[in-house]
Amino acid sequence: MARMTSPERMGAVMMGEKPDRIPVVPFILGYAAQITGVSIGDLYADGDKCFEAMFNSMRLHGYEQTPMYGYASLGPWEFGGEVMFPYGKGHSAPSVTKHPVMSIEDIENLEVPTFEKELPGGFKEADKVAKRCVAMGMPATIQTGSTFTASSVVAETSLFLKWIFKEPKAVHMLLDKVSDMFVNALEYFAETYGPEHCMPFDGGPVEANTILSPKQFKEFAYPYMEKLHKKIKELGMPAVLMHPCADQNMNIPYYVELRKKLNWEGRYFWLFGPETPIQDQIDNFGDHDIICGNVDPPSIQYKSYEDVVRLCKENIEAGKDSPNGFVLAPGCEFPPLAPPIKVMAMMDAAEKYGRYD
Amino acid sequence: MDKETLFKKLAAAVIDGDEDETARLAQEALDTGIDPYDAIMQGCNKGMAEVSDKYEAKEMFVPEILLSADAMYAAIDILRPHLKVDDTVAKPATVIIGVAQGDIHDIGKNLVKMMLDVAGFNIIDVGRDVPVETFVEKAIEHNAKLVAISALMTTSMMNMEPVIEGLKEKHSGAKTIVGGAPISQDFADSIGAAGYGKDAVAAVRVAKKLTEA
Ligand code: B12
Repeated sequence: MARMTSPERMGAVMMGEKPDRIPVVPFILGYAAQITGVSIGDLYADGDKCFEAMFNSMRLHGYEQTPMYGYASLGPWEFGGEVMFPYGKGHSAPSVTKHPVMSIEDIENLEVPTFEKELPGGFKEADKVAKRCVAMGMPATIQTGSTFTASSVVAETSLFLKWIFKEPKAVHMLLDKVSDMFVNALEYFAETYGPEHCMPFDGGPVEANTILSPKQFKEFAYPYMEKLHKKIKELGMPAVLMHPCADQNMNIPYYVELRKKLNWEGRYFWLFGPETPIQDQIDNFGDHDIICGNVDPPSIQYKSYEDVVRLCKENIEAGKDSPNGFVLAPGCEFPPLAPPIKVMAMMDAAEKYGRYD
Repeated sequence: MDKETLFKKLAAAVIDGDEDETARLAQEALDTGIDPYDAIMQGCNKGMAEVSDKYEAKEMFVPEILLSADAMYAAIDILRPHLKVDDTVAKPATVIIGVAQGDIHDIGKNLVKMMLDVAGFNIIDVGRDVPVETFVEKAIEHNAKLVAISALMTTSMMNMEPVIEGLKEKHSGAKTIVGGAPISQDFADSIGAAGYGKDAVAAVRVAKKLTEA
């Protein structure tokens, strides 16, 4: 079979066809800065630098992940708080320095950011990345959640988690406002770039079962996820990159319910953490969706090239024949400080063990 | 109410996260002449240890634990001022606790801090994203016996070893314990940490062992 280009490979998977080999989406964010000579602070503070670093890293390694902008602590800046960009020693992503919500009153007074004039906070940088992606025929990736994680950092995190019991009404009000911001974002990007070019990116770590019970997930995370995904469907976007971060095994029934309830013809790329066996993902979503790998990120950083190839091989063997396709990926962000041969290990494993011919 | 019943009720109220009830029971302990030290150790501490076990067993989750912590402190705040001096003959060991540089994940650190606190250690919390030098400086300033470092990321765990090195050089009286999701006993050994704890209960066990020796 003739070799496919990266866009052809992703295109084939999207269409439910077999590519020449499984695509590789290494979930690279901070790493792109490290190897292209951009500071990791600039990668998050400046959308143009983000695009260039990610585009160059993509060209250098030849993987299938196109440039994207986003981070786990998105939300506070957009709602009038402050974040610190990762210029400091050891920093690897933006973090919150001032939560806009410190009391119930703050929730009542909170105003939902609009996208009419200037775009709020990080969306301004995300927009620069999206613009350049779409101009080159690549999707505009938009972070649209998760609402629960964003809310848990808009408010001071421990307060927020306690309010789940003490002030459930106020928590719902906050979740509703935060999800409205994401609705506004979806509408802006759909209108600006055309829904067919948009790829929402949803997911977050704070709904992990190391923090939250499935019951709390059902009551506080699920309804807003459903609200946003309904919007995505209505707008006619073709696919969603869905990353239930860390251990969310007990939440899986709700993700399945979401899928059923929306009865959506679009496709999900499911990117679960290393805690969720690939076979479980196939059993729950494989009939309709694309399953992504979940190679353990710390192992990518610390283990040898040979060990990483072996871990990828196990991942590929478990997922390659999922009925609607498989993409090799780590279970969360590629370790920003890992040496480049670890990306090579993923690429080599895909070539060696991920071919369909 | 006899002592044993009160301790049991206090522990149960901690588990339930019932602040009003723990405060009421703490006051009742004082009023009926129960030793506040016993109330803390056999009521609050026992309750919190069970909370920690229930978390490991996925029967309790972080929001509930935070309420339990508040309930525990509601009792401790009432009991502590009445601790008899001879309960603390051996002055409690001081522990510096913080999250490694570059890391803002502090939920786990806060749980460990709380368990060490209720177990009787004197805690100095230096917060999150803590520079290597700060750990060392604070250890010297407070003549700490123990420095507890938490890290949740592959990037920030690299900033633990320099703290251990710095302490060896400048404040060799302090031992280091490390923990956090990506940390293992092997990793702790490899960077020369004196101890490792998989969870908050283990943290207390290790801290006691290292400071009693
Ligand atoms: C909640 C969370 C967040 C919240 C943090 C809120 C807060 N204030 O803490 C938010 C949303 C802000 C967040 C942000 C990010 N996160 Co985060 N996050 C998590 C998550 C889901 C849970 C961590 C947690 O609180 N667990 C609950 C507590 C109770 O458990 P614990 O911390 O492990 O602590 C226990 C034990 O480890 C032990 N312990 C802990 N400390 C110590 C210390 C000592 C001395 C001892 C003895 C024991 C001990 O006792 C505790 C009680 O049992 C983890 C996933 C995971 N599985 O850990 C990811 C995770 C840590 N995050 C991750 C990442 C990548 C990020 C971001 C970089 C994402 C991004 N690109 O923006 C940013 C970081 C920004 C920054 N500048 O640091 C990765 C780290 C990957 C890696 N290995 O390097 C993880 C592992 C997710 C994943 N699957 O990849 N995150």
